[in-house]
Amino acid sequence: MRQNDDNRWLNPLLEQHIGREPGEFDFAAWTRDHPDEARLLHRGYEHTGRNTKTRTLVVWRILMESKVTRYSAVAVVLLALTLVLLNPFGGSGNGGVVLADVQKKVAAIETMILRGTKTFTYPGEPDRVFEFDGTKCKFDLLKYHSTRHGLVEEGYVEGQLFYRITLNIPQKQTLILFPKYRKYLKFASMDALAKAMEIFGTPNSIVSLLLGGNHERLGREEIDGIEAEVFAFQDTEPFAPIKELLPKTVFDLQAFKGKVWIGIDEQLPVRVEGDLTIGKSFMTMFRDLNLHEVNTFSDYNIELDEAVFDTTPPEDYTELTLTDILKFVPTQAKAGAAALGIFPVGLVVWRKRNKVKRAKALQRQ
Amino acid sequence: MQSGSVQYKIRRMKDLDDSTLVRRALQADPESFGELCRRYYHSLVAIADSVLLDHHLAEDAAQETLAAACRELDRLKTPERFGPWIASICRNVARDMRRDSQKQRRCVERSLADDGPGEPDDHWRGERDDERRVVLAEALARLPEPLREVLFLRFYNEMSYRQMAQVLGATEQVIDGRIRRAKKKLAILLKNAGFGR
Repeated sequence: MRQNDDNRWLNPLLEQHIGREPGEFDFAAWTRDHPDEARLLHRGYEHTGRNTKTRTLVVWRILMESKVTRYSAVAVVLLALTLVLLNPFGGSGNGGVVLADVQKKVAAIETMILRGTKTFTYPGEPDRVFEFDGTKCKFDLLKYHSTRHGLVEEGYVEGQLFYRITLNIPQKQTLILFPKYRKYLKFASMDALAKAMEIFGTPNSIVSLLLGGNHERLGREEIDGIEAEVFAFQDTEPFAPIKELLPKTVFDLQAFKGKVWIGIDEQLPVRVEGDLTIGKSFMTMFRDLNLHEVNTFSDYNIELDEAVFDTTPPEDYTELTLTDILKFVPTQAKAGAAALGIFPVGLVVWRKRNKVKRAKALQRQ
Repeated sequence: MQSGSVQYKIRRMKDLDDSTLVRRALQADPESFGELCRRYYHSLVAIADSVLLDHHLAEDAAQETLAAACRELDRLKTPERFGPWIASICRNVARDMRRDSQKQRRCVERSLADDGPGEPDDHWRGERDDERRVVLAEALARLPEPLREVLFLRFYNEMSYRQMAQVLGATEQVIDGRIRRAKKKLAILLKNAGFGR
């Protein structure tokens, strides 16, 4: 009764003191004020890789819904293709190199062989090479490129072939081999992906793609005894088609910068270097990794046998199946099969560990 | 006849429960998080206000709470308890702001002391002109935080017991009891200061 009496004077007092006429919450304004959070909401939480349960469920969903195995493999292929001819070919210059001439010359190239290195490192630690299954992911590269047939990229570690990617353009087939594990992954390119591969697989198209990229002329330099003009470029524009094609979940290319050396006499690329920052994505098994790649252009318009681009897997290799990969993912998500951005390598680790477990169990018996 | 999935799609966002909205937000559906923001924003302002006793700061705290909740959403283990979860984030955010505010206040007071005697800053003193308001604010400040919180939730935007139960994760009976206790204590404090006569 006494409280009811108190309420008579207390309630109006509290209404006056605390009460407000609140406006509607403006979510659009909030997202503008919190761009990082807005980005997180837009891309989903699978990238954060914190909650194991959530991540596992999301990974499962991605695998089931977006054929991520293919996407990841295709991302690797596209990446390899792009770095074959990643140069700034726009406009014309007043120095020793006329980019328009270079553009014409590159357009006339039908085949070429490139050599170089591909190194995966941790962000902010350029000397710390990413290690996978005892293998330092610093590969010596050999690339064969043919406008008609496609692309082959071979990655060697201490002279041993670690992986071989073959993209056969006319057959629309991709084969990835892992000789160390006697494993292969082969898939027929989906229409959209095949089209993108064709775009990246022809010098003319690559040149067109790169025309919009920004570049800066750095001056002259002698490289491998060849007088060259150096250009720097820092843009992800050439990768726009990849970005459009591949969900960020699969391949999160965050930044790109590079340099290209163009021989003054021959008006052709001599060397290209690229640095890519790849965010946590399926391709890097939710790790942040940097990729530094160097390509040296050694031979142009040479005879390349069609057999080089054969996509028939060797007889003693076994195929990586989706079931194998699905079994592998939940337990090894952190282990990072990301060195190549492909699941299959990691799958082998999983199997090996299971073998060890079985062996230990047998020993206990 | 519409299929189940079509019927699901046409359900209004407002009809969806918290756990569904959380799950959708985790799957890259920003608008679901927007709906959760709209659903809880006023409660968060009220909770923050009960800690900070400053409405403008409380709005900032509510905005920051939503940002923190967004960043931590994938750590929420029971999506159906989104309300109590975000309320606890809000309390922490507001307490942090209060600590920062108190630090700033001490700095200003030291600075004023160094400059010799002068008029206290009205910004920190509240509205001196309205003594009744000051007394009420001080009385509210002396209430235990959980009791003060229910009063702010109840009297800010006339929140229903059901809404309060959703954000506090307590039953309506518990909330009713808490409000009664809060008012009883407040009435005693205010009567001692000359109110209610």
